[in-house]
Amino acid sequence: MTELPPYGVIILVIWGTITALDLVSVPQAMLSRPLVAGTVAGWLAGDIEAGLRVGVLFECFALDVLPIGAVRYPDYGPATVVAAALAAGAPWEFGLGIGAAVGVVLAILGGWSLQFVRRWNARAIQHRTAALAAGESSAIRLLQYGSLMRDGLRGASLTALGLAVAAMIEAKVPLDRRTAVGLSLVAIGGALAAAINGAIRSAGRGARLRWLIGGAGAGILLAVLT
Amino acid sequence: MNGGWRAQLRLLAVQGTWNYERMLGVGMGYAAEPLLEDLKTVDPVRHSEAVVRSTEFFNCHPYLAGLALGATARAEYEAVPGPQITRLRTALCSPLGALGDELFWTGVVPALIGVALSAVVLGAGWWAIGGLLVLYNLFRLGTGFWALRTGYGAGMKVGSAIGSSWLPRAVARVGPIAGFSIGLAIPLVAGWFLRGFGWSGGIAAVALAGVGVAVTRWFGPWLTSVRFTLLAMLLLLIFRRIGL
Repeated sequence: MTELPPYGVIILVIWGTITALDLVSVPQAMLSRPLVAGTVAGWLAGDIEAGLRVGVLFECFALDVLPIGAVRYPDYGPATVVAAALAAGAPWEFGLGIGAAVGVVLAILGGWSLQFVRRWNARAIQHRTAALAAGESSAIRLLQYGSLMRDGLRGASLTALGLAVAAMIEAKVPLDRRTAVGLSLVAIGGALAAAINGAIRSAGRGARLRWLIGGAGAGILLAVLT
Repeated sequence: MNGGWRAQLRLLAVQGTWNYERMLGVGMGYAAEPLLEDLKTVDPVRHSEAVVRSTEFFNCHPYLAGLALGATARAEYEAVPGPQITRLRTALCSPLGALGDELFWTGVVPALIGVALSAVVLGAGWWAIGGLLVLYNLFRLGTGFWALRTGYGAGMKVGSAIGSSWLPRAVARVGPIAGFSIGLAIPLVAGWFLRGFGWSGGIAAVALAGVGVAVTRWFGPWLTSVRFTLLAMLLLLIFRRIGL
Protein backbone atom coordinates (compact mmCIF):
# COMPACT_ATOMS: atom_id res chain seq x y z
CA MET A 1 0.00 0.00 0.00
CA THR A 2 1.44 3.36 -0.98
CA GLU A 3 1.73 6.08 1.66
CA LEU A 4 -1.33 8.25 1.17
CA PRO A 5 -1.74 11.80 2.51
CA PRO A 6 -5.00 12.51 4.40
CA TYR A 7 -6.56 14.14 1.34
CA GLY A 8 -5.63 11.04 -0.69
CA VAL A 9 -7.56 8.88 1.77
CA ILE A 10 -10.52 11.27 1.63
CA ILE A 11 -10.55 11.15 -2.17
CA LEU A 12 -10.52 7.33 -2.07
CA VAL A 13 -13.43 7.35 0.41
CA ILE A 14 -15.35 9.72 -1.88
CA TRP A 15 -14.65 7.43 -4.87
CA GLY A 16 -15.73 4.39 -2.84
CA THR A 17 -18.95 6.21 -1.89
CA ILE A 18 -19.65 7.05 -5.53
CA THR A 19 -19.17 3.43 -6.57
CA ALA A 20 -21.44 2.22 -3.75
CA LEU A 21 -24.18 4.67 -4.77
CA ASP A 22 -23.79 3.69 -8.42
CA LEU A 23 -24.45 0.01 -7.73
CA VAL A 24 -28.19 0.44 -7.12
CA SER A 25 -29.23 3.96 -6.11
CA VAL A 26 -27.87 6.47 -8.63
CA PRO A 27 -26.87 6.73 -11.50
CA GLN A 28 -26.06 3.07 -12.38
CA ALA A 29 -23.54 4.29 -14.95
CA MET A 30 -21.08 1.37 -14.63
CA LEU A 31 -18.88 3.31 -12.17
CA SER A 32 -19.40 0.50 -9.67
CA ARG A 33 -18.07 -2.13 -12.07
CA PRO A 34 -14.77 -3.37 -10.59
CA LEU A 35 -12.92 -2.70 -13.85
CA VAL A 36 -13.77 1.00 -13.58
CA ALA A 37 -13.68 1.28 -9.78
CA GLY A 38 -10.33 -0.51 -9.52
CA THR A 39 -8.57 1.36 -12.31
CA VAL A 40 -9.60 4.76 -10.98
CA ALA A 41 -8.66 3.72 -7.42
CA GLY A 42 -5.26 2.52 -8.65
CA TRP A 43 -4.73 5.85 -10.38
CA LEU A 44 -5.75 7.73 -7.20
CA ALA A 45 -3.39 5.57 -5.14
CA GLY A 46 -0.56 6.19 -7.60
CA ASP A 47 -0.38 2.71 -9.18
CA ILE A 48 -2.57 2.25 -12.26
CA GLU A 49 -1.12 -1.21 -13.01
CA ALA A 50 -2.23 -2.50 -9.60
CA GLY A 51 -5.65 -0.88 -10.07
CA LEU A 52 -6.11 -2.51 -13.46
CA ARG A 53 -5.06 -5.95 -12.19
CA VAL A 54 -7.35 -5.72 -9.15
CA GLY A 55 -10.15 -4.34 -11.35
CA VAL A 56 -9.90 -7.22 -13.83
CA LEU A 57 -9.75 -9.75 -10.97
CA PHE A 58 -12.87 -8.43 -9.25
CA GLU A 59 -14.64 -8.00 -12.59
CA CYS A 60 -14.33 -11.78 -12.96
CA PHE A 61 -16.02 -12.21 -9.58
CA ALA A 62 -18.73 -9.73 -10.60
CA LEU A 63 -19.50 -11.75 -13.75
CA ASP A 64 -21.00 -14.36 -11.42
CA VAL A 65 -23.61 -11.86 -10.23
CA LEU A 66 -26.99 -11.48 -11.90
CA PRO A 67 -28.67 -8.54 -10.15
CA ILE A 68 -32.26 -9.47 -10.97
CA GLY A 69 -35.30 -8.91 -8.78
CA ALA A 70 -34.55 -8.93 -5.08
CA VAL A 71 -31.48 -11.15 -5.36
CA ARG A 72 -28.70 -10.60 -2.80
CA TYR A 73 -25.17 -10.09 -4.07
CA PRO A 74 -21.81 -8.75 -2.88
CA ASP A 75 -21.01 -5.06 -3.38
CA TYR A 76 -17.77 -5.03 -5.36
CA GLY A 77 -17.41 -1.23 -5.77
CA PRO A 78 -15.92 -0.12 -2.42
CA ALA A 79 -14.27 -3.57 -2.08
CA THR A 80 -12.35 -3.06 -5.32
CA VAL A 81 -11.37 0.48 -4.31
CA VAL A 82 -9.88 -0.78 -1.04
CA ALA A 83 -8.24 -3.80 -2.68
CA ALA A 84 -6.61 -1.59 -5.32
CA ALA A 85 -5.35 0.81 -2.66
CA LEU A 86 -3.88 -2.09 -0.66
CA ALA A 87 -2.25 -3.67 -3.71
CA ALA A 88 -0.76 -0.37 -4.91
CA GLY A 89 2.95 0.19 -4.54
CA ALA A 90 4.00 -3.47 -4.54
CA PRO A 91 4.74 -5.74 -7.53
CA TRP A 92 1.27 -6.93 -8.53
CA GLU A 93 2.15 -10.64 -8.11
CA PHE A 94 2.58 -9.97 -4.38
CA GLY A 95 -0.05 -7.31 -3.78
CA LEU A 96 -2.95 -8.85 -5.71
CA GLY A 97 -3.66 -11.70 -3.27
CA ILE A 98 -3.72 -9.72 -0.04
CA GLY A 99 -5.75 -6.98 -1.74
CA ALA A 100 -8.21 -9.60 -2.97
CA ALA A 101 -8.47 -11.20 0.48
CA VAL A 102 -9.50 -7.91 2.09
CA GLY A 103 -11.67 -6.99 -0.90
CA VAL A 104 -13.60 -10.27 -0.91
CA VAL A 105 -14.48 -9.91 2.80
CA LEU A 106 -15.49 -6.30 2.23
CA ALA A 107 -17.63 -7.24 -0.77
CA ILE A 108 -19.57 -9.75 1.35
CA LEU A 109 -19.93 -7.15 4.09
CA GLY A 110 -21.10 -4.67 1.46
CA GLY A 111 -23.80 -7.10 0.33
CA TRP A 112 -25.09 -7.40 3.89
CA SER A 113 -25.00 -3.63 4.37
CA LEU A 114 -27.16 -3.27 1.27
CA GLN A 115 -29.84 -5.46 2.89
CA PHE A 116 -29.60 -3.34 6.02
CA VAL A 117 -30.16 -0.13 4.02
CA ARG A 118 -33.11 -1.67 2.18
CA ARG A 119 -34.77 -2.61 5.47
CA TRP A 120 -34.00 0.88 6.79
CA ASN A 121 -35.69 2.35 3.69
CA ALA A 122 -38.76 0.20 4.33
CA ARG A 123 -38.96 1.46 7.93
CA ALA A 124 -38.67 5.08 6.74
CA ILE A 125 -41.54 4.48 4.30
CA GLN A 126 -43.67 2.92 7.03
CA HIS A 127 -43.14 6.07 9.14
CA ARG A 128 -44.51 8.18 6.28
CA THR A 129 -47.34 5.89 5.16
CA ALA A 130 -50.01 8.47 6.05
CA ALA A 131 -48.28 11.22 4.06
CA LEU A 132 -47.88 8.89 1.07
CA ALA A 133 -51.54 7.87 1.28
CA ALA A 134 -52.46 11.57 1.24
CA GLY A 135 -50.42 12.08 -1.95
CA GLU A 136 -47.90 14.50 -0.41
CA SER A 137 -45.12 15.08 -2.92
CA SER A 138 -42.83 16.46 -0.22
CA ALA A 139 -42.95 13.11 1.59
CA ILE A 140 -41.82 11.31 -1.57
CA ARG A 141 -38.90 13.72 -2.01
CA LEU A 142 -37.88 13.38 1.64
CA LEU A 143 -37.95 9.59 1.40
CA GLN A 144 -35.93 9.61 -1.80
CA TYR A 145 -33.23 11.99 -0.52
CA GLY A 146 -33.08 10.17 2.83
CA SER A 147 -32.58 6.82 1.12
CA LEU A 148 -29.82 8.20 -1.10
CA MET A 149 -28.10 9.62 1.99
CA ARG A 150 -28.34 6.26 3.76
CA ASP A 151 -26.77 4.49 0.79
CA GLY A 152 -24.05 7.14 0.55
CA LEU A 153 -23.33 6.74 4.25
CA ARG A 154 -23.11 2.98 3.72
CA GLY A 155 -20.58 3.39 0.92
CA ALA A 156 -18.46 5.90 2.84
CA SER A 157 -18.42 3.76 6.00
CA LEU A 158 -17.58 0.63 4.05
CA THR A 159 -14.69 2.27 2.19
CA ALA A 160 -13.33 4.00 5.30
CA LEU A 161 -13.53 0.77 7.30
CA GLY A 162 -11.83 -1.14 4.50
CA LEU A 163 -9.02 1.38 4.18
CA ALA A 164 -8.48 1.33 7.96
CA VAL A 165 -8.29 -2.49 7.95
CA ALA A 166 -5.97 -2.39 4.93
CA ALA A 167 -3.62 0.04 6.68
CA MET A 168 -3.65 -2.15 9.79
CA ILE A 169 -2.86 -5.30 7.80
CA GLU A 170 -0.08 -3.51 5.97
CA ALA A 171 1.48 -2.46 9.28
CA LYS A 172 0.87 -5.51 11.47
CA VAL A 173 0.62 -8.58 9.21
CA PRO A 174 3.84 -9.02 7.25
CA LEU A 175 3.52 -11.74 4.60
CA ASP A 176 6.44 -13.70 3.21
CA ARG A 177 6.78 -13.82 -0.55
CA ARG A 178 5.55 -17.40 -0.96
CA THR A 179 2.38 -16.74 1.00
CA ALA A 180 1.73 -13.49 -0.92
CA VAL A 181 2.18 -15.26 -4.27
CA GLY A 182 0.05 -18.18 -3.05
CA LEU A 183 -2.76 -15.81 -2.10
CA SER A 184 -2.56 -14.16 -5.52
CA LEU A 185 -2.82 -17.55 -7.27
CA VAL A 186 -5.79 -18.54 -5.10
CA ALA A 187 -7.47 -15.21 -5.87
CA ILE A 188 -6.91 -15.70 -9.63
CA GLY A 189 -8.18 -19.30 -9.50
CA GLY A 190 -11.27 -18.23 -7.55
CA ALA A 191 -11.95 -15.31 -9.90
CA LEU A 192 -11.67 -17.55 -12.98
CA ALA A 193 -14.06 -20.03 -11.36
CA ALA A 194 -16.53 -17.19 -10.75
CA ALA A 195 -16.27 -15.92 -14.33
CA ILE A 196 -16.71 -19.44 -15.78
CA ASN A 197 -19.70 -20.08 -13.51
CA GLY A 198 -21.34 -16.82 -14.53
CA ALA A 199 -20.69 -17.46 -18.23
CA ILE A 200 -22.09 -21.01 -18.12
CA ARG A 201 -25.16 -19.99 -16.14
CA SER A 202 -26.00 -17.11 -18.50
CA ALA A 203 -25.36 -19.23 -21.60
CA GLY A 204 -28.04 -21.82 -20.93
CA ARG A 205 -28.18 -24.57 -23.58
CA GLY A 206 -29.07 -22.75 -26.80
CA ALA A 207 -27.22 -20.73 -29.43
CA ARG A 208 -25.56 -18.63 -26.75
CA LEU A 209 -23.71 -21.67 -25.40
CA ARG A 210 -22.31 -22.37 -28.85
CA TRP A 211 -21.17 -18.76 -29.15
CA LEU A 212 -19.61 -18.98 -25.69
CA ILE A 213 -17.64 -22.07 -26.69
CA GLY A 214 -16.63 -20.38 -29.97
CA GLY A 215 -15.47 -17.30 -28.08
CA ALA A 216 -13.51 -19.43 -25.62
CA GLY A 217 -11.78 -21.19 -28.52
CA ALA A 218 -10.84 -17.85 -30.07
CA GLY A 219 -9.68 -16.58 -26.68
CA ILE A 220 -7.43 -19.58 -26.08
CA LEU A 221 -5.91 -19.15 -29.55
CA LEU A 222 -5.34 -15.45 -28.99
CA ALA A 223 -3.86 -16.06 -25.52
CA VAL A 224 -1.38 -18.55 -26.98
CA LEU A 225 -0.43 -16.25 -29.87
CA THR A 226 0.04 -13.06 -27.83
CA MET B 1 -44.76 16.02 -22.52
CA ASN B 2 -43.99 18.68 -19.90
CA GLY B 3 -41.43 17.76 -17.28
CA GLY B 4 -39.97 15.01 -19.46
CA TRP B 5 -36.35 15.99 -18.93
CA ARG B 6 -36.76 16.27 -15.17
CA ALA B 7 -38.54 12.93 -15.10
CA GLN B 8 -35.73 11.45 -17.17
CA LEU B 9 -33.09 12.73 -14.75
CA ARG B 10 -35.07 11.45 -11.79
CA LEU B 11 -35.37 8.04 -13.41
CA LEU B 12 -31.59 7.73 -12.97
CA ALA B 13 -32.35 7.40 -9.26
CA VAL B 14 -35.48 5.26 -9.63
CA GLN B 15 -33.94 2.60 -7.36
CA GLY B 16 -32.89 5.17 -4.75
CA THR B 17 -35.57 4.07 -2.27
CA TRP B 18 -35.44 0.38 -3.20
CA ASN B 19 -36.91 -1.77 -0.42
CA TYR B 20 -38.53 -5.16 0.02
CA GLU B 21 -42.08 -3.76 0.41
CA ARG B 22 -42.69 -1.30 -2.44
CA MET B 23 -39.49 -2.08 -4.36
CA LEU B 24 -39.25 0.69 -7.03
CA GLY B 25 -42.56 2.25 -5.90
CA VAL B 26 -41.36 5.41 -4.18
CA GLY B 27 -38.66 5.96 -6.81
CA MET B 28 -41.35 5.83 -9.49
CA GLY B 29 -43.40 8.35 -7.52
CA TYR B 30 -40.36 10.64 -7.34
CA ALA B 31 -39.80 10.39 -11.11
CA ALA B 32 -43.53 10.84 -11.84
CA GLU B 33 -43.75 14.13 -9.95
CA PRO B 34 -42.61 16.45 -12.80
CA LEU B 35 -44.81 14.61 -15.33
CA LEU B 36 -47.91 14.99 -13.16
CA GLU B 37 -47.36 18.67 -12.33
CA ASP B 38 -49.78 19.99 -14.98
CA LEU B 39 -52.53 17.77 -13.61
CA LYS B 40 -52.39 19.75 -10.36
CA THR B 41 -53.90 22.86 -11.98
CA VAL B 42 -56.39 20.96 -14.16
CA ASP B 43 -57.71 18.50 -11.57
CA PRO B 44 -56.16 18.71 -8.06
CA VAL B 45 -58.12 15.72 -6.73
CA ARG B 46 -57.07 13.52 -9.63
CA HIS B 47 -53.47 14.76 -9.19
CA SER B 48 -53.46 13.69 -5.56
CA GLU B 49 -54.85 10.25 -6.46
CA ALA B 50 -52.28 9.93 -9.27
CA VAL B 51 -49.41 10.71 -6.88
CA VAL B 52 -50.64 8.05 -4.47
CA ARG B 53 -50.87 5.49 -7.29
CA SER B 54 -47.41 6.37 -8.56
CA THR B 55 -45.77 5.38 -5.24
CA GLU B 56 -47.49 2.02 -4.88
CA PHE B 57 -45.62 -1.27 -5.29
CA PHE B 58 -43.77 -1.52 -8.57
CA ASN B 59 -40.81 -3.53 -9.81
CA CYS B 60 -39.19 -3.91 -13.19
CA HIS B 61 -35.82 -3.36 -14.80
CA PRO B 62 -34.77 0.17 -13.79
CA TYR B 63 -33.73 1.24 -17.32
CA LEU B 64 -37.13 0.33 -18.78
CA ALA B 65 -39.14 1.87 -15.93
CA GLY B 66 -39.73 4.88 -18.19
CA LEU B 67 -42.12 2.81 -20.31
CA ALA B 68 -44.39 2.22 -17.33
CA LEU B 69 -43.90 5.75 -16.02
CA GLY B 70 -44.78 7.39 -19.34
CA ALA B 71 -47.75 5.11 -19.98
CA THR B 72 -49.30 5.63 -16.55
CA ALA B 73 -48.72 9.41 -16.63
CA ARG B 74 -50.47 9.61 -20.01
CA ALA B 75 -53.31 7.46 -18.67
CA GLU B 76 -53.72 9.84 -15.71
CA TYR B 77 -54.10 12.80 -18.11
CA GLU B 78 -56.60 10.81 -20.19
CA ALA B 79 -58.67 10.23 -17.02
CA VAL B 80 -58.47 6.45 -17.31
CA PRO B 81 -60.11 4.90 -14.20
CA GLY B 82 -57.63 4.44 -11.34
CA PRO B 83 -58.02 0.66 -10.93
CA GLN B 84 -57.27 0.23 -14.65
CA ILE B 85 -54.02 2.21 -14.28
CA THR B 86 -53.04 0.10 -11.28
CA ARG B 87 -53.70 -3.05 -13.32
CA LEU B 88 -51.52 -1.69 -16.14
CA ARG B 89 -48.65 -1.04 -13.70
CA THR B 90 -48.98 -4.54 -12.29
CA ALA B 91 -49.16 -6.10 -15.74
CA LEU B 92 -46.00 -4.30 -16.87
CA CYS B 93 -43.81 -5.48 -13.96
CA SER B 94 -42.88 -8.94 -15.24
CA PRO B 95 -42.42 -8.24 -18.98
CA LEU B 96 -40.35 -5.11 -18.40
CA GLY B 97 -38.30 -6.96 -15.79
CA ALA B 98 -37.66 -9.94 -18.06
CA LEU B 99 -36.91 -7.85 -21.16
CA GLY B 100 -34.60 -5.48 -19.30
CA ASP B 101 -32.75 -8.23 -17.47
CA GLU B 102 -32.14 -10.11 -20.71
CA LEU B 103 -31.19 -7.01 -22.66
CA PHE B 104 -28.91 -5.45 -20.06
CA TRP B 105 -27.82 -7.84 -17.29
CA THR B 106 -27.28 -10.92 -19.46
CA GLY B 107 -26.75 -9.09 -22.76
CA VAL B 108 -25.25 -5.63 -23.15
CA VAL B 109 -23.37 -5.60 -19.83
CA PRO B 110 -21.48 -8.92 -20.26
CA ALA B 111 -20.94 -8.15 -23.97
CA LEU B 112 -19.29 -4.81 -23.24
CA ILE B 113 -17.46 -6.08 -20.16
CA GLY B 114 -16.06 -8.97 -22.18
CA VAL B 115 -14.82 -6.59 -24.88
CA ALA B 116 -13.35 -4.24 -22.27
CA LEU B 117 -11.58 -7.09 -20.44
CA SER B 118 -10.11 -8.38 -23.69
CA ALA B 119 -9.03 -4.87 -24.67
CA VAL B 120 -7.36 -4.26 -21.28
CA VAL B 121 -5.51 -7.56 -21.53
CA LEU B 122 -4.37 -6.72 -25.08
CA GLY B 123 -2.96 -3.40 -23.87
CA ALA B 124 -5.71 -0.82 -24.45
CA GLY B 125 -5.60 0.32 -20.78
CA TRP B 126 -7.56 3.49 -20.08
CA TRP B 127 -9.06 3.53 -23.58
CA ALA B 128 -10.87 0.30 -22.83
CA ILE B 129 -12.33 1.73 -19.61
CA GLY B 130 -13.35 5.01 -21.31
CA GLY B 131 -14.86 3.17 -24.28
CA LEU B 132 -16.84 0.92 -21.95
CA LEU B 133 -18.26 3.88 -20.02
CA VAL B 134 -19.12 5.93 -23.11
CA LEU B 135 -20.71 3.10 -25.11
CA TYR B 136 -22.68 1.69 -22.21
CA ASN B 137 -24.02 5.02 -21.03
CA LEU B 138 -24.95 6.14 -24.54
CA PHE B 139 -26.97 2.96 -25.00
CA ARG B 140 -28.44 3.05 -21.53
CA LEU B 141 -29.45 6.73 -21.68
CA GLY B 142 -30.75 6.33 -25.24
CA THR B 143 -32.90 3.42 -24.10
CA GLY B 144 -34.15 5.48 -21.17
CA PHE B 145 -35.19 8.41 -23.39
CA TRP B 146 -36.86 6.05 -25.85
CA ALA B 147 -38.68 4.25 -23.04
CA LEU B 148 -40.20 7.38 -21.50
CA ARG B 149 -41.23 8.85 -24.87
CA THR B 150 -42.67 5.55 -26.09
CA GLY B 151 -44.55 4.98 -22.85
CA TYR B 152 -46.01 8.48 -22.85
CA GLY B 153 -46.89 8.28 -26.53
CA ALA B 154 -48.65 4.92 -26.25
CA GLY B 155 -50.45 5.32 -22.91
CA MET B 156 -52.65 2.30 -22.20
CA LYS B 157 -51.49 0.70 -25.50
CA VAL B 158 -47.90 0.50 -24.29
CA GLY B 159 -47.93 -3.31 -24.44
CA SER B 160 -48.38 -3.40 -28.21
CA ALA B 161 -45.88 -0.52 -28.61
CA ILE B 162 -43.25 -2.63 -26.80
CA GLY B 163 -44.12 -5.73 -28.81
CA SER B 164 -43.66 -3.97 -32.15
CA SER B 165 -40.51 -2.11 -31.09
CA TRP B 166 -36.81 -2.99 -31.47
CA LEU B 167 -36.67 -4.29 -27.91
CA PRO B 168 -37.68 -7.97 -28.36
CA ARG B 169 -35.48 -8.28 -31.47
CA ALA B 170 -32.48 -6.76 -29.68
CA VAL B 171 -32.93 -9.16 -26.77
CA ALA B 172 -32.74 -12.12 -29.16
CA ARG B 173 -29.57 -10.81 -30.82
CA VAL B 174 -27.52 -9.58 -27.91
CA GLY B 175 -27.30 -12.93 -26.07
CA PRO B 176 -24.97 -14.71 -28.54
CA ILE B 177 -22.76 -11.60 -28.76
CA ALA B 178 -22.46 -11.57 -24.96
CA GLY B 179 -21.65 -15.29 -24.95
CA PHE B 180 -18.86 -14.87 -27.51
CA SER B 181 -17.46 -11.79 -25.82
CA ILE B 182 -17.23 -13.40 -22.38
CA GLY B 183 -15.93 -16.63 -23.89
CA LEU B 184 -13.15 -14.66 -25.57
CA ALA B 185 -12.26 -12.69 -22.46
CA ILE B 186 -11.87 -15.51 -19.91
CA PRO B 187 -8.87 -17.32 -21.51
CA LEU B 188 -7.24 -13.98 -22.31
CA VAL B 189 -7.59 -12.84 -18.69
CA ALA B 190 -6.28 -16.18 -17.44
CA GLY B 191 -3.22 -15.93 -19.70
CA TRP B 192 -2.62 -12.30 -18.72
CA PHE B 193 -2.57 -13.14 -15.03
CA LEU B 194 -0.83 -16.48 -15.07
CA ARG B 195 2.03 -15.60 -17.42
CA GLY B 196 3.83 -14.01 -14.48
CA PHE B 197 3.80 -17.15 -12.31
CA GLY B 198 5.44 -19.81 -14.47
CA TRP B 199 4.03 -23.23 -15.39
CA SER B 200 3.57 -24.60 -11.87
CA GLY B 201 1.74 -21.50 -10.65
CA GLY B 202 -0.40 -21.39 -13.77
CA ILE B 203 -1.40 -25.04 -13.51
CA ALA B 204 -2.19 -24.64 -9.80
CA ALA B 205 -4.47 -21.64 -10.43
CA VAL B 206 -6.26 -23.32 -13.35
CA ALA B 207 -6.72 -26.50 -11.28
CA LEU B 208 -8.13 -24.40 -8.45
CA ALA B 209 -10.51 -22.73 -10.90
CA GLY B 210 -11.68 -26.18 -12.07
CA VAL B 211 -12.25 -27.33 -8.48
CA GLY B 212 -14.03 -24.03 -7.80
CA VAL B 213 -16.42 -24.48 -10.73
CA ALA B 214 -17.14 -28.08 -9.69
CA VAL B 215 -17.74 -27.52 -5.97
CA THR B 216 -19.70 -24.29 -6.35
CA ARG B 217 -22.02 -26.01 -8.80
CA TRP B 218 -22.29 -29.00 -6.49
CA PHE B 219 -22.75 -27.11 -3.19
CA GLY B 220 -24.41 -23.99 -4.60
CA PRO B 221 -26.18 -21.75 -3.93
CA TRP B 222 -24.69 -21.76 -0.43
CA LEU B 223 -21.10 -22.11 -1.63
CA THR B 224 -20.69 -19.16 -3.99
CA SER B 225 -17.46 -18.46 -5.88
CA VAL B 226 -16.62 -15.67 -3.46
CA ARG B 227 -17.05 -17.93 -0.43
CA PHE B 228 -15.04 -20.66 -2.13
CA THR B 229 -12.19 -18.21 -2.73
CA LEU B 230 -12.29 -17.00 0.86
CA LEU B 231 -12.23 -20.59 2.11
CA ALA B 232 -9.29 -21.46 -0.15
CA MET B 233 -7.41 -18.38 1.08
CA LEU B 234 -8.03 -19.35 4.71
CA LEU B 235 -6.79 -22.88 4.05
CA LEU B 236 -3.66 -21.54 2.38
CA LEU B 237 -2.93 -19.25 5.33
CA ILE B 238 -3.45 -22.14 7.79
CA PHE B 239 -1.16 -24.43 5.77
CA ARG B 240 1.52 -21.76 5.58
CA ARG B 241 1.19 -21.10 9.31
CA ILE B 242 1.80 -24.76 10.21
CA GLY B 243 4.71 -24.87 7.77
CA LEU B 244 3.29 -26.85 4.84
